[in-house]
Amino acid sequence: MTLTPATDQMDARRLGQIENHDSLAARNTRLAPGDNVTVRIRRSSGSEGGSAYQDFDVPYQKWMRVLDALNWIAENRATDLAYRWFCGSKMCGTCAVRMNGREVLACWEAVEPAMTIEPLRNLPVIRDLVVDRTRYEDKVASLEPWLERPSPYTGFPEPLNHKQMKDASKALDCISCMCCYSACPVVGLGALTDFAGPAPLVQLAQTALDPRNDPEKLRRSLALTDIFNCVSCYKCEEVCPAHIPIVSRIIEPLKAKTAQLVPGMAKHSFALRDIVAARGRVDPGALVLRVQGLRALANMSRVVRLLMRGKINPLKTFLKIKTAAAEAAGRILLGNRTK
Amino acid sequence: MKFAYYPGCSARSTCAELNEATHLVATKLGLELVQLESATCTGARELRAIDPVGFYTLNVRILALAESHGLPLMTICNTCTLNVLDAHSAFMADPELAQSINVRLAEEGLHYSGDTRISHFLWVLHEDIGEQRLRALVVNPLTDLTVGAFYGCHITRPPTQYGFVDSRNNSALEKLAEILGCKPIDYTGRNECCGFHTAAHDEKVAIKLTGQHILSAKTGGAQAMVTPCPLCHTVLDGFQREIEKDLGRKLDMPVLHLPQLVGLALGLSPEELKIDHHMVSAASLNTYAAHGHSRAGR
Repeated sequence: MTLTPATDQMDARRLGQIENHDSLAARNTRLAPGDNVTVRIRRSSGSEGGSAYQDFDVPYQKWMRVLDALNWIAENRATDLAYRWFCGSKMCGTCAVRMNGREVLACWEAVEPAMTIEPLRNLPVIRDLVVDRTRYEDKVASLEPWLERPSPYTGFPEPLNHKQMKDASKALDCISCMCCYSACPVVGLGALTDFAGPAPLVQLAQTALDPRNDPEKLRRSLALTDIFNCVSCYKCEEVCPAHIPIVSRIIEPLKAKTAQLVPGMAKHSFALRDIVAARGRVDPGALVLRVQGLRALANMSRVVRLLMRGKINPLKTFLKIKTAAAEAAGRILLGNRTK
Repeated sequence: MKFAYYPGCSARSTCAELNEATHLVATKLGLELVQLESATCTGARELRAIDPVGFYTLNVRILALAESHGLPLMTICNTCTLNVLDAHSAFMADPELAQSINVRLAEEGLHYSGDTRISHFLWVLHEDIGEQRLRALVVNPLTDLTVGAFYGCHITRPPTQYGFVDSRNNSALEKLAEILGCKPIDYTGRNECCGFHTAAHDEKVAIKLTGQHILSAKTGGAQAMVTPCPLCHTVLDGFQREIEKDLGRKLDMPVLHLPQLVGLALGLSPEELKIDHHMVSAASLNTYAAHGHSRAGR
């Protein structure tokens, strides 16, 4: 058992789990029927005007979900409360909200004793908890998320196996709930980047990771994603109610496709590989020079500060010392035979 | 207690002070570290995108080096930790991949059978040293020092894998700060992303993201931040001047590597721990040191 902790008593990765009631059993036993659930809802008449929090006391009923609390409030306290839901069973993806700072499906999340409920981030608010999904839908449409065959259909059965479809099939679990889009810190930076965001990339992956798709069409789509501005923080994976491994099974394979079809977008990845292959390790000076070129010189004041603190060493950058690590990396990454 | 030790690239270049502090603190803790000198870079986030097999091979090679010593592996970088965890997991899940990697490793007489335990220094402190022993070793409790614990991403996410719980609930770093005598603060940035992995080609994302986090730590009353990852440190500390420019205000937030904070509490001096090697001065923390400065005036 290599990934288990050193001792049975202590797992550093789980410290805090118990205090924070982070298990299904704990969540289901925190409240008893009749207990009070305090619900604070951020209400507004849209993104333009201001917003205000309104507090409600809701009597807990067994198995109460966030959606049940919202329904109780709409029926008994605030008939004008705006929120979306349809299926109530984790299928339609319309009821996502933020509860105590995290994205959840209202229909699938147990209530907590004190809850602050807010609309999703990164999308304009229409009213109360209802957001405008147009921005997302436009982005998905611009990515042409469909299959175009470069050659005529050969007839059934197609020569496809599970391994070829393993990532695309994960993407097909998406219910377009926008939890990931709301949780993404880069999408949160707005127009600073052109990063498409996790949800549109998952939609694109449904066909982009299908080996039957036309590379020419994919090149066009991937060029619009700014995918290398994904910071790999896994926030999207953490909130995905469909448990799609968005970074490892969607974004990473899409990055690989992008590096293949639009290599100019992955310049820094190729630079890092070449540096590691030559040196065994990353030399930060070499990487920045190679990726940013003359642009790096615009940052001369930092270069001087780094030099003064001994954080970079130009001698090391320009003199490549042959090490065992460099030899191994060259052999593995470039197939160099030194023996 | 003996570990194969993998410092990674940052701790051997821009964050050399992290490597030095780790060795000093390990001695104090009674940890024997066997540094894997011929280990390569784990490929950061870049290599896996363009050469997955090369990525897995480099990482499994690191695990094989540890295995050749018969030792568990200790890392001090979040991204390196997740890379070796991912490579181990892929190796175990795909026998064809495993076999092809071992063929490559055999060229230099290495072999991986999948038995290397992978642990980050933060986890070693809790799991191998343990709270009780650690408390006994704290000769200089950092009483009243308010710290903002900054986890970074890759030792607390992806969720449900490798034993990770909901990253918002993880409190390993705060718990450790308490053991050292500090007062950990609560702030919005604690489990957010520093943006390092876009910084080599475009710094603006890292500057914007990390600005919010330092600001929230500052607002929450942190005198210093502490991070278990040198990549986070590079943005938090190395980019702080640019962040201040972007925010239009001074932050002056000292940022410590995890072993440096531990080292202070174990009685090592700021000079030994190279705390003065950071881009943002950490001189304000000298009053918490065991040597040199009087603690009476606090």
